[in-house]
Amino acid sequence: MSAATSLRVAVIDDDSGFVQVLAKRLETAGWQLRVIDGPVPPKELVAMRLGALVVDPGVVGPSGLSFIESVCEALPGLGLMVCTGQSTVAQRVRGLRLGVDDWVTKPCHPEEVVARIEAVVRRRKRALGTPEVGPLEAGDLEIRGDQFQAFAAGRGADLTRREFELLLLLAEARGLVLQREEIYQRVWGYAMAHGDRSVDVFVRKLRQKLERISPGWRYIHTHFGIGYRFQPEPTEAVAPDTIAPTSFEDAPRVASST
Amino acid sequence: MRLFGRGAADGSLHDLLAEAGRNVVRAATLLRDLVADYPERADLAREIRECEQEGDRITHDVIHLLGGATGRPGLSSDQVQALARTIDDIVDYAEETADIMGLYHIEASMAQAEELADVLVASGQAVSAALGSLPDDAALSEQLVEIHRLENEGDRVSREAIASLFAGGIDPMVVIRWKDVFESLEEAIDACESVAHLLEGIALASRAG
Repeated sequence: MSAATSLRVAVIDDDSGFVQVLAKRLETAGWQLRVIDGPVPPKELVAMRLGALVVDPGVVGPSGLSFIESVCEALPGLGLMVCTGQSTVAQRVRGLRLGVDDWVTKPCHPEEVVARIEAVVRRRKRALGTPEVGPLEAGDLEIRGDQFQAFAAGRGADLTRREFELLLLLAEARGLVLQREEIYQRVWGYAMAHGDRSVDVFVRKLRQKLERISPGWRYIHTHFGIGYRFQPEPTEAVAPDTIAPTSFEDAPRVASST
Repeated sequence: MRLFGRGAADGSLHDLLAEAGRNVVRAATLLRDLVADYPERADLAREIRECEQEGDRITHDVIHLLGGATGRPGLSSDQVQALARTIDDIVDYAEETADIMGLYHIEASMAQAEELADVLVASGQAVSAALGSLPDDAALSEQLVEIHRLENEGDRVSREAIASLFAGGIDPMVVIRWKDVFESLEEAIDACESVAHLLEGIALASRAG
């Protein structure tokens, strides 16, 4: 499996022909593609956990470069590529100085676009100089991003991709309570529909799998009406389910949704 | 109220309709349990499918029975056949809902689906009670009012549920899947109301006859 296999890419473009061909190529490469036909708030792009974004500023309108600037500010680690029609030298220079990694002029070959996205992502990773996710230890658990799996005493939890992403998100929040809507947006990459039970169902499955490999610990705590908090605690020290704070200082912090 | 002039045929018909009513309640209850505890109890779809087959059997028996009975003037056996088929529709839609949830690989339930399934159970119970109270006009009327009320409730829940899917940023696949599930549940509740309409018609024809 190549490093780019699980890359999430979003394309902001309304050129259906171009998008269709590009989607086919990206799908073949095993990437996850999200097509967006207009400007979206950078906050929503953050939630999509993208590796790269391909944008045609013409679709965004006259504020195309301002949009690019706000995306670069909100997502400094994102590989950003502009793929658009004719542009002036001044526009291209400004875009590249704002943080655009590459600028391709249409018409262009989709294969070249794919290769350029790969190059952008490769450069970004090299610049970071670290693997995407290092092992994270909590209680009995070892959460390994390189294997998309959690282990306890060498035994794998047999997590699905989504269960792993949920576990990693909760564990990385370091004791903060994450709201259901935020969890859904960051793991599923979309806004949560009102009444959707997916987060609760996946937390339930995750708990069962963690309990199987690490029965002496309790990792995920429910905060009724709000969401979930990851905090490894030995089972004998924990009362069933919700943790009632004994003082204001003890109250778990809720992650800001901004 | 008597559906037919011959007492023996009337008795068998009442038994079959009561059996159909119980089958509706069973299918609706199984569907509610499946929806409330999805995907853990997705296997209940198999039992709902058995209800659907049972419903087909009962409908066939009603039609067969009517074929051998002499209809009373003013009361068409077509009405009773339509009644049997519409009762069967309720179970068919319940089965379709369970089937869609499996076929569409739905990951988890939605609160509005649970609410609609609750309405369907209540509506199915009212249908069953209405079928069981056939000789008693007052009791029948009470159940018919309840079925109409529940249909309005189902309409409201379903409309709001579908509207909530079109809030911004929701996965289009979630919208497609759940719109179909909500609509199928609503069809099942609507079929309960269709049964109520048919029962009203039969009751009126019976009084006139």
